[in-house]
Amino acid sequence: MATVSPELPELMKRVALRDRRAFAELYRRTGAKLFGVCLRILKDRGEAEEVLQEVYVRVWQAAESYDHAKASPVTWLVAIARNRAIDVLRSRKSAASSQTGDIDDAAATVADPGPDPEAAAEAKGERGRIDACLDELEADRAGAVRLAYIDGASYQDLADRYRVPLNTMRTWLRRSLIRLRECLER
Amino acid sequence: MSSVDHTREDDGPEALAAEYVLGLLDAEARAAAEARLIADPDFAEEVAFWRAHFSALDQAYAPVTPPADALRKIETRLFGAEAAERAGPLARLWGSLALWRAVAVVAIVLAVAVAVRPDLLRTSGPTPAELVASLQADDSPVHFVAVYDPDHQRLRFNHVSGDRQAAHDFELWVIEGDKAPVSLGVIPAGQSITVAVAPGHRGLLHSGSVLAISSEPLGGSPTGQPTGPVVAAGDMRTL
Repeated sequence: MATVSPELPELMKRVALRDRRAFAELYRRTGAKLFGVCLRILKDRGEAEEVLQEVYVRVWQAAESYDHAKASPVTWLVAIARNRAIDVLRSRKSAASSQTGDIDDAAATVADPGPDPEAAAEAKGERGRIDACLDELEADRAGAVRLAYIDGASYQDLADRYRVPLNTMRTWLRRSLIRLRECLER
Repeated sequence: MSSVDHTREDDGPEALAAEYVLGLLDAEARAAAEARLIADPDFAEEVAFWRAHFSALDQAYAPVTPPADALRKIETRLFGAEAAERAGPLARLWGSLALWRAVAVVAIVLAVAVAVRPDLLRTSGPTPAELVASLQADDSPVHFVAVYDPDHQRLRFNHVSGDRQAAHDFELWVIEGDKAPVSLGVIPAGQSITVAVAPGHRGLLHSGSVLAISSEPLGGSPTGQPTGPVVAAGDMRTL
């Protein structure tokens, strides 16, 4: 019977066709992941809740432009969540708390896969090429790239954390990205 | 992609595309990158390259259960408060029915959907007790699904299958117990139709009433009682 739950790509197609039931189902299946993204980047529950809503509004609006050949649904959804969360992060007026200061606390509780064996296995088994290439960089440089992607750290955040001038941080990071690029295309 | 250039500048397009994906560009630079994304296919490819690779880091995001009212708030933003509150199980099923029109056993779908997903039934708020009927008959291809909204005195039909005979109309009747059928009028053509129910007829539409469709001459039965064969029927029930 057709009531057996469809896969994510099918749900995405239906959402693009304005199927509200499919949209609700898509939310049920992916909401926790995207909330995790918002929390990790914003580190504020209230803001994360607000942004989560904005993200799904955006998902509904942009569903037509989702191209299943280019990315998996989860990848596409996470990208929307990351982008929106980082936008909100950047627009925060108070720069009182540095992103990287909070990151150390957050990293300790979130990044450790110890308590969840399944997540640990998955984390090890699904290392992308990016992980291998990041390992080829110096630890600090790799760390900076990860902080930028996962935590949405800005150049200023990174410069503060690594205690270097802003322009130095820019140069370091760009050179690291070029080395990553060369590694990735090998 | 163009040939590899081992003397890439650190302010070249590769680094820029990566910075864009990472979210490191300031507002102005980002706007410029977005414009370039549209205009420059090589740059777009570069961005796609970085996106695909960086997405392997997404597994660092641990899922966290969102607040329970988040979906309702999202739906309110998108579809309005009334739609979010009153988009109960029937509205959702209705939307799906339209997609599954080709499947003949809509009645089973209704029953199964509610049976396997009791969470579709909302228990909060003044949800109207909508009534649903699946109208079919043996040896008849005609199939309608009807939903009665007592709050608005409206009958919504989904014409699932079965065409009208040439020069014939489908007339709708409501039958209470042993009483004679009462005409609710000719069903207009169309796949999804809504008709208002006259005040005198509203009391007839309740759980257990039978809705029946007969094939009548154009304009409906001339006698006030069915003259043609009953092509579909079903009893009204609450979910």
